[in-house]
Amino acid sequence: MTRFFLDQREVDAQPGESILQAAQRHGVELPHLCHKDGLQPEGNCRACVVEIEGERVLAPACCRTPHAGMVVNAQGERAQSARRSVLELLLAEAPAAGGELARWARAADARVAHFALSPAPVDPDAMPDRSHPAIVFNAAACILCTRCLRACRDEQANDVIGLGGRGRIIFDAGVALGASSCVACGECVAACPTGALTEKSGATLAPAADIERIASLCPYCGVGCQLTYRVAANAIVGVDGRNGPANAGRLCVKGRFGYDYARHPGRLTTPLIRRAGVAKDATLAGTVDDWRQQFREASWDEALDFAVCGWQAVRRDFGDQALAGFGSAKGSNEEAYLFQKLIRLGFGNHNVDHCTRLCHASSVAALLEGLGSGAVSNPVRDVDHADVIIVIGANPTVNHPVAASFMKNAARRGARLIVIDPRMTDLARDASHILQFTPDTDVLLLNALLHVIVFDKLTNETFVKERVDGFDAAFIDNLRAYAPEAVAATVGVPAQTLRTVAHLYASAGSAIIFWGMGVSQHTHGTDNVRCLIALALLTGQIGRPGTGLHPLRGQNNVQGASDAGLIPMMLPDYQRVADAAVRARFAGHWGAPLADVPGLTVTEILDAAAAGTLRGMYVLGENPAMSDPDLNHARMALARLDHLVVQDIFLTETAALADVILPASSFAEKDGSFTNTDRTVQLGRAALAPPGEARQDLQIIEALARRLGLDWHYGSPAAVFTEMRQVMSSLAGISWQRLQQEGAVTYPCRHDDDPGEPVIFRENFPTANGRGRIFPVAFRPAAEIPDADYPWVLITGRLLEHWHTGSMTRRARVLDALEPEPYVNLHPDDLAELGLGERGMLRLSTRRGELTAAARADAGLPRRTAFMPFCYGEAAANLLTNPALDPQGKIPEFKYCAVRVAAAG
Amino acid sequence: MTPDAATRARLHALLEKSPTEALPRDQLIEFLHRIQDACAHLPTSLLTALAAEMKLPLAEVVEVASFYHHFDLVPGADAAPPPTTLRVCTSLACAMHGAEELAERLAGQFGPEVRVQRVPCVGRCAGAPVAVSGQKPLERASPASILAVLASGQTTDPAPPARRLADYRAAGGYDLYKACLRGERSRSEVIDSLDHASLRGLGGAGFPTGRKWRLVAAQPAPRHLAINIDEGEPGTFKDRHYLEREPHAFLEGALIAAWAVGLENIWIYLRDEYAACRRLLTEELAALAAAFPAAPTIELRRGAGAYICGDESAMIESIEGKRGMPRLRPPYIAEVGLFGRPTLAHNMETLHWVPEILRRGPEWFAGQGRHGRQGLRSFSVSGRVARPGVHLAPAGITLNELIAEYCGGMAHGHTLYGYFPGGASGGILPASLADLPLDFDTLQAHGCFIGSAAIVVFSQHDSARRLAQNAMEFFAHESCGQCTPCRVGTRVSAALMQAPVWDAERLDALARVMHDASICGLGQAAPNPTRSVLRHFPQEVE
Repeated sequence: MTRFFLDQREVDAQPGESILQAAQRHGVELPHLCHKDGLQPEGNCRACVVEIEGERVLAPACCRTPHAGMVVNAQGERAQSARRSVLELLLAEAPAAGGELARWARAADARVAHFALSPAPVDPDAMPDRSHPAIVFNAAACILCTRCLRACRDEQANDVIGLGGRGRIIFDAGVALGASSCVACGECVAACPTGALTEKSGATLAPAADIERIASLCPYCGVGCQLTYRVAANAIVGVDGRNGPANAGRLCVKGRFGYDYARHPGRLTTPLIRRAGVAKDATLAGTVDDWRQQFREASWDEALDFAVCGWQAVRRDFGDQALAGFGSAKGSNEEAYLFQKLIRLGFGNHNVDHCTRLCHASSVAALLEGLGSGAVSNPVRDVDHADVIIVIGANPTVNHPVAASFMKNAARRGARLIVIDPRMTDLARDASHILQFTPDTDVLLLNALLHVIVFDKLTNETFVKERVDGFDAAFIDNLRAYAPEAVAATVGVPAQTLRTVAHLYASAGSAIIFWGMGVSQHTHGTDNVRCLIALALLTGQIGRPGTGLHPLRGQNNVQGASDAGLIPMMLPDYQRVADAAVRARFAGHWGAPLADVPGLTVTEILDAAAAGTLRGMYVLGENPAMSDPDLNHARMALARLDHLVVQDIFLTETAALADVILPASSFAEKDGSFTNTDRTVQLGRAALAPPGEARQDLQIIEALARRLGLDWHYGSPAAVFTEMRQVMSSLAGISWQRLQQEGAVTYPCRHDDDPGEPVIFRENFPTANGRGRIFPVAFRPAAEIPDADYPWVLITGRLLEHWHTGSMTRRARVLDALEPEPYVNLHPDDLAELGLGERGMLRLSTRRGELTAAARADAGLPRRTAFMPFCYGEAAANLLTNPALDPQGKIPEFKYCAVRVAAAG
Repeated sequence: MTPDAATRARLHALLEKSPTEALPRDQLIEFLHRIQDACAHLPTSLLTALAAEMKLPLAEVVEVASFYHHFDLVPGADAAPPPTTLRVCTSLACAMHGAEELAERLAGQFGPEVRVQRVPCVGRCAGAPVAVSGQKPLERASPASILAVLASGQTTDPAPPARRLADYRAAGGYDLYKACLRGERSRSEVIDSLDHASLRGLGGAGFPTGRKWRLVAAQPAPRHLAINIDEGEPGTFKDRHYLEREPHAFLEGALIAAWAVGLENIWIYLRDEYAACRRLLTEELAALAAAFPAAPTIELRRGAGAYICGDESAMIESIEGKRGMPRLRPPYIAEVGLFGRPTLAHNMETLHWVPEILRRGPEWFAGQGRHGRQGLRSFSVSGRVARPGVHLAPAGITLNELIAEYCGGMAHGHTLYGYFPGGASGGILPASLADLPLDFDTLQAHGCFIGSAAIVVFSQHDSARRLAQNAMEFFAHESCGQCTPCRVGTRVSAALMQAPVWDAERLDALARVMHDASICGLGQAAPNPTRSVLRHFPQEVE
């Protein structure tokens, strides 16, 4: 505590507090514009200058810390007049400025025209830059405080905004915002104090009084950003970042600008029943656009009865195993829990799965096997404590943008960032080491790292001795064949680089590994993750802050949906169906017996449907007709079903094949808890009422359950969550009330006073003997290798602006304007060889299907490799993909198949 | 936006770097010079490639490139500027000598091969008016002499005929440095001598040199030395004067400072306009490094057209390869300077006197001076005097004495009306105050300071308000744009000063906020000429 004098008053300053902050705390408001909490102080606007005794000129209060006995004169004539003049100068420079400048100017009695420049420094008639779909830049309102620049560069690490010349905001090389590399995270808009950068929707201009603010969550990825919806007239008009544990106020383009899908004209508002005699068309030709040809409107009672009668008929005619359900990782924990309970009790089997099967099933399989838990060991923001960060097979700048911003922040602070990926992604620019390896050689590369760690004696002997099983002769022998020098040519990474990286990782004070679908979506996905687990266990890089294993979870609630039991072989909290004691316990809780065979997985369910052994389904918020591999097969299988019930908010590709469609609620229309990639449980809160007759998902599940003979009367998500706590020890300490109060609690959380555990495995692993286990892994190639007929490699994935199958984001105005059409990335040299330029049309064919899409150059790709996002219904990449499965995780090989690429037409 | 292979190859050829060689961040400005020199502008394609190779955001490369006036950024190759740039200086002395008319007459003379730019002071005020064709300066320029130079194809000057290393050493140069290294002098004795000599920072701030050395020496190692030869204050050309004649004096001074203060590395920041001196220094630094292989490395950095880089913290930013924006102080650069290390920053001339003071003894230097002042000052005199140029004269000499004794009196037909005692920023004094001792601390009472001792003399044929306007337009052009009072205040002042009758109330309010609230000396001193006119030449603006 420092005592100093503020306007003849002796006051105190907290350690590290600026004069501005201390003055504020003592009731002295000083105007300030370039200062914003969380951004590096710049002191350039000079609106907060004060007089410090003994100093020749005035000093910016935001950049100075009081020292003992300092005499600060903030309210004296000299300082006040300087501050007012500064505000008057800014009014002259930025005649269009509003917001904070206007507010401070009024408070200081600044005269608008006192220093008015004629002509104005920025031509007032010059049109604002409206070239970007989401953001408008109006230079006539810009005061060059550089808050946007710091938000863009220091905070989000997107590096688009610069300060050009002798004071003007530039984008990249000085191009229009719409032509720049802007990724539309909108942090600049949030940072701008004057309205120079605004949302194009104009929402920020609506009178504040008419706007309701609802604290909620982002509905998209697993990062779990907290946000505030701005709501007016039952519509979201804008989104602000909220200071959540995962996002610290940051958002990405989807979270900030992707909110209007809920009011898209295509929203389903009445229950629909397939018209009698209208056959299902597995080619989906034209059916998605106009539902009236295929469906008729129905009342809720009719639709619910129709749904349940259909299932009951199937069960009666074809037995207990003929029904299945796909739940959704987009729904809440409560919805996931009730959904799996409905399938298990109402359908009488365990045929319940969801899209985790398509993303991290292999990761979970390996983690459960090695560590006894499928969840992450450390939160993303532990990068702050990491010396070495490995990102392998993940493109977080696109798929987990806010997480990526923290990784880039850490790298720029000096952490070593090692990017291991066949594609040189955006993150590579911040990497200390880039290992651009040949696709499909993951195990060769990872075994080479293990080889160095084992034979260069880099293992953590104490840790291995105390906590690891499986480090035996067989494990070591297996590694002998994987010396870096032996695999370097195949892997495409110099042996020395492999050695350097192995040493860096093993000898780091703390090292953390992140991975994504690039690791998991292979027929050797489980093997890939086994290698990552071995890396962490052999070096002891787990169980401490800044270490560990973090599979970046995709969907906003894929962690929670898995925890809640949307898995055919697991009941809630990963308790195995095969275990009779577990079944007995749940039967006791739920008051009904459970089937004793584990259920089928996503791809197995569709195979069974194709084979005619599975006849009826309940699909809630999933879109397998877009997300599954080999779509011709998947769509045929769905079309063959006798009875398909789809509960969704849009007529998705899957709903187009339904017998009955139940109009549900979008994320912002319901309350519920969601568990992010960090194992943090957070509350989403309803901001809107569902449109038309659309209903809350929880209500629909409950209504169906009652018609199936289950006597359910939950009525609220809180009631469901309370039941979940009773059967899931991980959530035992998290009450609904606590969630409402704290907003975020990380599990495991065993009792009411347990703060939760962001970092787990500190003492032991949740295995039978408390020790982790490693396994030797042999290299196996992908299921389909390029050959003369299909000579290239196809990799599928996502892009920044669109979420998963695009059902939400393609219907969000800004997002679809930013990325409106399907494309395929190729190396520019390949593009040149095909005689094509940017946007030239390509034809892609595999043994399973073909499509055409526009080409885009990406020098980050290896040669003879095509990358395609799978969100575009008009050119669905999954028509091409290979349904071959990983034997343990049952995850399809989305990340590798053989493809023929040619110029179209 | 990935650069193609051909562009990358071209970039590496221009930078004379192999594709695997590191491109250090702090050399960004050097790299931009390579591109600008080769292409006569900065093509976006090469900047994109440079950003990618340096792993820098394109915006960061462009914000640096666009800060400096000597770099031409163009959106596309079709908008490239003409290959030859003819710069006409329009600052104080040149303006008095018809620079505006010269630029006007030149404007229509050339085809697409040549462009005419009005530029601020190029540091040759004694030869006003001055034009620079490419990198070749032309003093007392006329349309005829400029056309002749353009026709000759000369775009640069050879290195000036300075005393080179061998001759300097033959005359005993560097003996003192060697004596220091041998321990024949102690560090404290050397620093004490600078105190006794009353040597002060001659870049303009006048900070006592010995005290500065002690301050930096007390900071933790590693410590650096940055030598400022950015000489951009209109009217100042003394550093060039000494550089062109005796470059090794300041270099020996620098090595002695490095020894006495314990400095690891030395950077020299030379303004881009001094191209011939750059050639000379490059050669002499190579020779010096060969002669003293164990001495600290000396790196020569080239400015790129930015007056603000005369501010020591802006210079440091520029040496680090960034926009030349002054830093907020505290921390002072003696604590946190170049690359975050404690830094001794000196104007070149300050170091120039160090060997001589130590050889001849502090009393020799301190013994000079008039009217109670101590030491010698290198006055850059320009304007309406018979013999403009650098005149080494006693500190404290009055303007009347200086003109009479050193400058051969006023120019023919001119009567003293007023003078700038310290370049554009030091304010303006009327003829009635020509008997004041000229030195640090003597002019404050009259709203002026001596700064770098750039004396611009004007006569009854000149207008104080026009010169003050010229100065304010210069500051508006050269403001780094960082802080509001300077960025906007200079522009608003320049606009108000166009009125036949000045709005004294507004100009005074502007002067106060600029002086009180600007980050650095540029903004703080920018209102001085305006205030001087209101105070000493009110008849011109009422």
